[in-house]
This record gives sequence, structure tokens and C-alpha cells, in this order.
Amino acid sequence: MDQSQHTSQQKQWAWVGWVLFAVALIVTFGLGLLASSILTRRREALPPQPVHPIARWESDSSKWAANFPREYDRYRQMMDDTTRTKYGGAFPRDYLEETPANVILFAGYAFAKDYRQARGHVYAVEDVTHTKRVNEKTPATCWTCKSTDVPRLLAQMSPADFYKQPFAAFKKEITHPIGCLDCHDPTDMRLVITRPALREALQRQGRDPDKLSHQEMRTMVCAQCHVEYYFKGEGKYLTFPWDKGTSLEQIESYYEEANFSDWTHAISHAPMVKMQHPDFEIYSTGIHAYRNVSCADCHMPYMSEGGVKFTDHHVQSPLLNIANSCAVCHRWSEEEIRSRVESIQDKIHEVRGRVEQALVAAHFDVAAAMQAGATDEELQPARQLIRRAQLRWDFVAANNGMGFHSPAECLRILAAALDLAGQARSEASRILAKHGITDPINYPDVSTKEKAQAVEQLFVKGTPPNLLPTKVSGSPVPAALTAGP
Amino acid sequence: MPEANTQSRLWNLLSLGWLPTPVRLLVFGSWGICLGLAALVAHISRAPSYLSDDPEVCVNCHVMRPEYVSWRHSSHAEVAHCNDCHVPQDSFWRHWLFKARDGLWHATVFTMRWEPQVIKLSKRAEPVVEQNCRRCHEPLISFTSLREHAPGDLRCWDCHTEVPHGSVRGLATTPGYLDPSLPPVGPNTLGPRIGGREPRASGEGAGR
Repeated sequence: MDQSQHTSQQKQWAWVGWVLFAVALIVTFGLGLLASSILTRRREALPPQPVHPIARWESDSSKWAANFPREYDRYRQMMDDTTRTKYGGAFPRDYLEETPANVILFAGYAFAKDYRQARGHVYAVEDVTHTKRVNEKTPATCWTCKSTDVPRLLAQMSPADFYKQPFAAFKKEITHPIGCLDCHDPTDMRLVITRPALREALQRQGRDPDKLSHQEMRTMVCAQCHVEYYFKGEGKYLTFPWDKGTSLEQIESYYEEANFSDWTHAISHAPMVKMQHPDFEIYSTGIHAYRNVSCADCHMPYMSEGGVKFTDHHVQSPLLNIANSCAVCHRWSEEEIRSRVESIQDKIHEVRGRVEQALVAAHFDVAAAMQAGATDEELQPARQLIRRAQLRWDFVAANNGMGFHSPAECLRILAAALDLAGQARSEASRILAKHGITDPINYPDVSTKEKAQAVEQLFVKGTPPNLLPTKVSGSPVPAALTAGP
Repeated sequence: MPEANTQSRLWNLLSLGWLPTPVRLLVFGSWGICLGLAALVAHISRAPSYLSDDPEVCVNCHVMRPEYVSWRHSSHAEVAHCNDCHVPQDSFWRHWLFKARDGLWHATVFTMRWEPQVIKLSKRAEPVVEQNCRRCHEPLISFTSLREHAPGDLRCWDCHTEVPHGSVRGLATTPGYLDPSLPPVGPNTLGPRIGGREPRASGEGAGR
């Protein structure tokens, strides 16, 4: 009885159940629409697929241009090799003409023959082919940073096999200058590290090169090349001396342990290390790196054209584009910014000049001591001091930007260089005195590139000019030394 | 006893005991599917992420990309995130009510495709943003503009027009910009690359 009543009541309310069912149907349908809308619209956010697909190893940047006309157009602006700033710009500044001391400091090394500021990225292949520093002994390693053809070649053969070939072996294969493929993945334009040397250096430091953030990559793609490096061993394997760290002292200690030297100095016979534009290492110690400002933030600032904003691919000195780079954060007039930067650079230039004078004199002091009869054993401490001083000077001098990447660090390093060069000179004077020379020695005239190169050549050929004073007070001069050149 | 009776009545109501069994099964089943789908929508839309303050969440629907990119490249990127300026920070309740209301409105606009070519600050949001400007910059401005301008007279951005999103803006202004990606939302069977990029094979692009 009770049961049947219950059942009839249930039947009476059955329509409510059907209404609930219908509501669930409609809500489910609506939610399904929403889900489909969300997934469909998410596709809108995917990076646009290239209109003209780009091949995996497309080294010709003009083939990328169809998809990225604005970026390519700005990249092409690097063809302008006339831009100048006080200490930089894209014109082929002759460092030997500007600073003849360079000839003496690099005596016996190719940098004494030809040392120019590299022009823009688009000239990389042309410039490396024409520099007098390249000869038949040059290894293929020198191509590594010059061309978008290199990633393909490194993929075809192992890096070790690539590096150990002669430079001339790839003249036909390597034709395209630094471009898109060096920093970008052709499938989605992500920034990538294409040069193994940086990956290996990071891995040896225990860092995972695949886990860098996009902002870090905006520096790291530059650090593939704008760093201190050397060619390790017989295989000329491109290596960054970063195992201990990237500070000057850590790099120096790496080279000391590896007992590495690039060349023996033609004047002082000191074992020298050439520093190669350690831009990344110096920048890392500066205020901009501390504030997480990347290379691209200043050298490739954001620009707008019509209603479109994009990264300016005309890589250049920020001083040539102050409004878009510096002034984004430093809201002053262009003139004020420029004068601030230049006043900092002037100071570093001044100290750098003092170090150059001291180092040039130190090289000649040691050479004079050799002429006075000093042995290699006696001169070893002075030569070691010269090596350490010049390594420091070069760390700052070879760095682009006249120290602006980290002014305090540059002045710290130059101060150490000046001190060490002074120590080298006083050590050489002591040896000279020991051999009876107490009067000032004859420093040759090296005030211009030509004069300096003439003097350098005399030392290279083994017929150095007489540096010892002709009139010697006190002790008699050994007969062997009175004959001049 | 009456208590047990009430309990059983409530149970009867909730468990749809007053419906014939076949209808009950149908209703339960359909609402189960409905709730599951709701959960799926919450998941694929990354709804829980909206409770956070990550700027990346604001570009989840890509129409905010130009705003994100211009902020990312501005000096404010170092010190302030989206919510620091665009959501009230003076009280817990105002913060969350405003965030909820704004968020739901944004979701509606996006779903209905009502977004304009150039997104502008709404009237409702103006005092909020201005108050947040002042929250940080008050010590700098108290002597000048506070004295010169009555409150509401001028907005900060009437003069500081480029801060921080710039004056040139629109849905199409940042082509080719790489979105910061939130974690993927599910198995790739939902569609290739949906909800984030495909994981990169380690070492790819290393030149070997």
C-alpha cells in the first residue's frame, strides 16, 4: 500500500527529472562549445608559421627575409660601414694607426701586421678573408664565428673534425656572413646556441644550456662569439677558458695551469696570451648585467614601424641609437647621455694609454737587458710580470665599448696592469744595473704605425736596434755591445 | 527519531529518491558528464592560474600580448607586475572582488570576440591604476602634481603617455613575438602543440 503510494508519487514528479536532464543537456552542450572555443582560439596564439618554410640549415639570410621583411631590412642596415662614435662605430678603425703602441705590444704576432675594428656582421666573411692575420697555417677554427654556413658544416662533421682542417679548405663552402641561422631556430625563431664551444663551456661549469630563459638567451646568443677563447691543442679545438669562472683572475689562472701561450714576444721574448674581445665576461661584471639587462636590450632595442613593434636587427653601438636604447630607462636628453658615456670612456682611455706606455717601455727594458747580456733565467720574473700585465691590459683593450660595459671592473684591471708593468720595469732595471747599465736606455721612436712597424720588423728579423746607452758612466761596456745595428 | 526522519528526507531529496529509478540514473549520469566537462573547461582554460599574480597568465588569451610585450620591455618590468597596477592593492576584499569581476569580464569579452583593435583602460579601472601609480610614486609627486592638480583633474598617463605600454598599440603590433608559455594543459591528443610548445629534444640546435 505504502509502497504503491510512493511509486505513484515518484511518477508524479518524473517530469522534474526530465527537466533536470534537459538542463544538464543544455549546460553540457554549452560547456562543450566553450571548450571547443578555447582550444580553437588557442591556436590563434601559436607563432605564425612561416609563409615560406625555411630549410633546417638555410644559411642564406635573404631566404628568411620573405617571412621577416622588417627584421631583415634592419639587418641589411649593417652594410653601412661609415658609422662612428668617439671610440667605436662600424667603420674599419685602424687600431695600429690610432694606437701605434699596439704594434710594439703585439710584436712578433699577426696583430702587429693588421688590427682593425671589425665592421658589421654582414661583412664577417669578407673581413676574415681579407685580413692579413690569416695565412696558410690558419686553422678552420677561425671560420667558426663568421658564417651561417658553419652550423651546417659542424652538423655534417664533428666539431673536432671541422676545427682541425686548414682555413682554406672551406673557402667554397663558407660564403654567407653572420645572419639569422646563427641565433634562431628556423622552425619557430626561438633563440638557440648554435656554437658548441659555448654549450661545452656552460656544461663544464655545470650549467644546462637548454634551460636558459629567453632573457638570458638574448645575451647568450652573443656570448657564442663575443668572449675570450683559445684554440686548444693540436686539433685547434675552440675552447672558452671558463672552467674556473669568467673573471680575469679565473681566466688567467686557467691559462697558467694549462701553461698556454699564444706567441713569444719578439722584443722581450715574454710568453704572451692574446685576449679576444671578452665582451660577455666584462659585461657580466657591470651594472647592466646586475640589473638583468641583456645585450639585445641595448644593442638591438625595440623599435616600431607604422603600428608594428619589433626587435631592431641592426646590431650597433647604442650610442648610434640613444633614443631607443639608453633613453628607454635613462630618461635624459640624448646629449646628456652621450656626454655621460663618453666621459666614462675618456677616463678608461686615459688609464689604458698609461698602461700602454708602461708596457711598451717594459718590453724595451727587457730587450735592453738581453743586449746587456742578461740570461733568460735572470729575465724570467720580468717576462712573467709583462705577460700578466699585458694580459690584463688586453682584457680591457680588446673588449669593445672602451670599458663602458663595466667601467669599475675595467679600471680595477688596468690598475693591476699598471702595477705589474711597473714591477716588470723595476725588475728589468735591476738586471740592467747588475750588468752595468744605469743610464737611461735608448727607446726607439714608435710614435706612428709605420715607425713602430719598422722597429718591430727589426726585432722579428733578429737585427734589433741598439737600445743600450752609447755613453756609459761607471762600469765599462762589454765590447760585444758597443756595435750598433 | 524525528531527527532521523529529517535526515532521511533530506537524503531522499538530494539522492532524487522521489524520482523513478530510470529517470534518476539519467539525471545523475547527465550531471556527472556536465560536471566533468566543467572540470575539463577549467583545466584547459588554465582557470586555477588566474588566482596567481604571474604576468604570463595575462597573456593566456593572446589578445593581451602587445600589453605584455610592451610592459616586458619597459623599466616597470623590473618592479611591477600586471596586478600591481591593474588590481586594487588597498584591501583584501577589494583586491579579490575587483580581480574576479575584471577577470570574468575579460573572459566574456574574449569568448564573445568583443575585443577591440586597441584595448584601452576602462573608466572603472582608471582610479584603480592611478591609485597604484601613487602608491609607489607618492613621495616623488607630492610636492609637484598633488599641489598643482586636484584629484581626478588629470590622470598620470595624460602626461606620461608612454608609461609603460607605449602610445602605439593594437592587436597586430607584435607579430612574431615569442609568447611566454604556461605549462601544457594535457595530453597531445587534444591537438598537436595545443597549450604550449612541444618539448625540445635536448641538444637540438647545438650544431651537431
